Amino acid sequence: MEQKKHDAVMIDYEKIFHPQKLAIVGVSEEGAGFGSGMFNVLQAMGFEGEIFPVNPKGGKFSGIDIYKRVEDIPVKLDFAIICVTAKAVPDVLEACRKKGAAGAEILSAGFSELGTAEGVELENKIRQIVAKGIRVVGPNCFGIYCPRSGLTLLPGPDLSRRSGSVAFLSQSGGMAIDFAHKGKWMGIGFSKVVSFGNGADLRETELLRYFANDPETRIITMYIEGIKDGDSFFREIKAASYRKPVIVCKGGLSPDGQRMVVSHTASMGGSRVIWQSVLKQVNAVQVQDLEELAEASLAFSFLPEKVFKNISVVVGGGAFGVIACDAAEAFGIEIPPLSADLQMRIGELLPKPGSSGLNPIDVASPFVSPQVLKEILRNAGADDRIDLQIIISLLYHYKTMARALGKPVKEVAPYRELAVGIQDVVKETGKPIVVILANPKRGVDDLDIIEMLALARREFLDRGLPVFDELHEAIRAIGHVNGYYRRRKAENG
Amino acid sequence: MDKNSAFGIIKNASRERRKALSEYEAKQVLAAYGIPVTREYLVESRADVEKAAQKIGYPLVIKGCSSEIAHKTEKGLIHTDIRSDAEALKAFDEIKEKLNIYNGAVLIQEMIPGRRELVLGMTRDDQFGPCVMFGLGGIFTEIIKDISFRKAPVEKSDALEMMREIKGHNILSAFRGMEAADVESLANILIQLGEIGLEIDYVQEIDLNPVIIFGKKPIVVDALIILK
Repeated sequence: MEQKKHDAVMIDYEKIFHPQKLAIVGVSEEGAGFGSGMFNVLQAMGFEGEIFPVNPKGGKFSGIDIYKRVEDIPVKLDFAIICVTAKAVPDVLEACRKKGAAGAEILSAGFSELGTAEGVELENKIRQIVAKGIRVVGPNCFGIYCPRSGLTLLPGPDLSRRSGSVAFLSQSGGMAIDFAHKGKWMGIGFSKVVSFGNGADLRETELLRYFANDPETRIITMYIEGIKDGDSFFREIKAASYRKPVIVCKGGLSPDGQRMVVSHTASMGGSRVIWQSVLKQVNAVQVQDLEELAEASLAFSFLPEKVFKNISVVVGGGAFGVIACDAAEAFGIEIPPLSADLQMRIGELLPKPGSSGLNPIDVASPFVSPQVLKEILRNAGADDRIDLQIIISLLYHYKTMARALGKPVKEVAPYRELAVGIQDVVKETGKPIVVILANPKRGVDDLDIIEMLALARREFLDRGLPVFDELHEAIRAIGHVNGYYRRRKAENG
Repeated sequence: MDKNSAFGIIKNASRERRKALSEYEAKQVLAAYGIPVTREYLVESRADVEKAAQKIGYPLVIKGCSSEIAHKTEKGLIHTDIRSDAEALKAFDEIKEKLNIYNGAVLIQEMIPGRRELVLGMTRDDQFGPCVMFGLGGIFTEIIKDISFRKAPVEKSDALEMMREIKGHNILSAFRGMEAADVESLANILIQLGEIGLEIDYVQEIDLNPVIIFGKKPIVVDALIILK
């Protein structure tokens, strides 16, 4: 019985994320408003299903007939996007339910977030309809982005259609759209992104359970401000993080209210401390902002599921090596000296003087050829103790060379050769290599460098090599991977 | 003392609309949950002081015990290292005088020697319910805030991790001639604090401060239980 119910739920989710018959309620002939906007972006995304626009005034939009009422749609619906005024939402939702829709996303605002009695009442009406058998995302949200089906957030006509393994569930629509855009160039592929706004029905607890079971999702990420029920959240996040990494950005502090506390324990157990403790207790990865969330997602997506205790770092300049050691130490990662014979072999490859084959390996010059860098990485990776390698690429320096040659920097910088070489070493050694594309030159004078590095990033990412802008960001992200798998291993005995 | 009598103590206090248990009552509740507490007697008269002292043996700690006073040290209600009947009676008289305006009695308690002080506790979070705390005790607790929390129910692995998590966790290892603290016993206290939070709704907050490591055994020397 339980299993049957569970299967039914999974089928509903399938219809929600990959609908074949989709109603958009609130599409106006004039093309104004969220509904029409949604119609346009879904077409731009190449949404795979059939769309039925609805508006009481009827007419045509983009050459397609607009139905006056949901009831008039001649087929059974899978999903609906509702963008009508708040007052009209309950009736529309009920009509969608009767049309067989498994779910609806309600983009409209004007509910409990207003704090008015009317807003709260309207949201309660939504819940009453939900209880009759339809799942709701929202209201007051940006909706669902699912690269596989082409469902997208508003405004998101240009999000990637490439499906990936990261799910994001977010109370904030702005955070959802930002992460979706950020992921596209950073190389983070999404299974599903859900902005659930007020979360009248589906929210953190339900979505955690779904994503824990979703075979498309390997990494769960979330942005939450408040939760509805601490105990069920705790249960679900614990169960989820037992199976896959759960990365949490907790925004804001829950108000502690005006409660008086007497004991030392209560005075020290403020909301921030308790949140940190609870996330640690369930082995969730806590991050502070969207940047760190994205970086951690990148590391979890690209790196194998293990702890990287010892790493080698290839740098150009002694100070980078010192900073690398400091950063690594803070996360319990070691940069051990390589074995003597490898040091010697690497030393022979390095330009003289000023270089060091110790680890961090200081190549001293930004113009060491990709072939030599490849040989260095191949040797360092041969050390049994090394679990992972980082290379800080100084490609931006090629602008100087490009100027001398009178060519654009993107034609001079050997990023493709470097990417190919690094990929070869990863295959050969079986150890991941993380690339840092450092760039201290980001002004309008150096847009050519920015362009070149964007192209370079794509080459690395296409070859399965994770790219970070800064060394400390990469080390912090690797630290999160280590923390998660170390504790999961401990839990599993 | 079993759990039923513990519920009884709390029900009684809440019927009287009290905001807290006295130290003596709090320790009975803790003992009912298998948490090791000091041996102690509540006395009303001078004659009882000597009897209690004889049963426990010197040195002693003598405290004012009232549910109306949450923090005793500030009020001069704790006399430590009492070594004779004369000293005990003197302390009794002084405390009695200070207690004057409060409802309370005098608590005669074994003195637990030990240089390592911890603070353990329970608080209720608005979102996550009962949460248990572990930290370094002593006068710097609130300044250093070297503490860890876990939501109840606390599993043994959680409890062990809470202890490892604080910066001063080495205090639990053998050092300076002291034995390694019995972490199993500490883990059990943390688990039981969580259980109290889950089982007794009336209990709002708990402070075990200090818990002193005697040899290797943790013993609750002072306890505060705040009611809803």
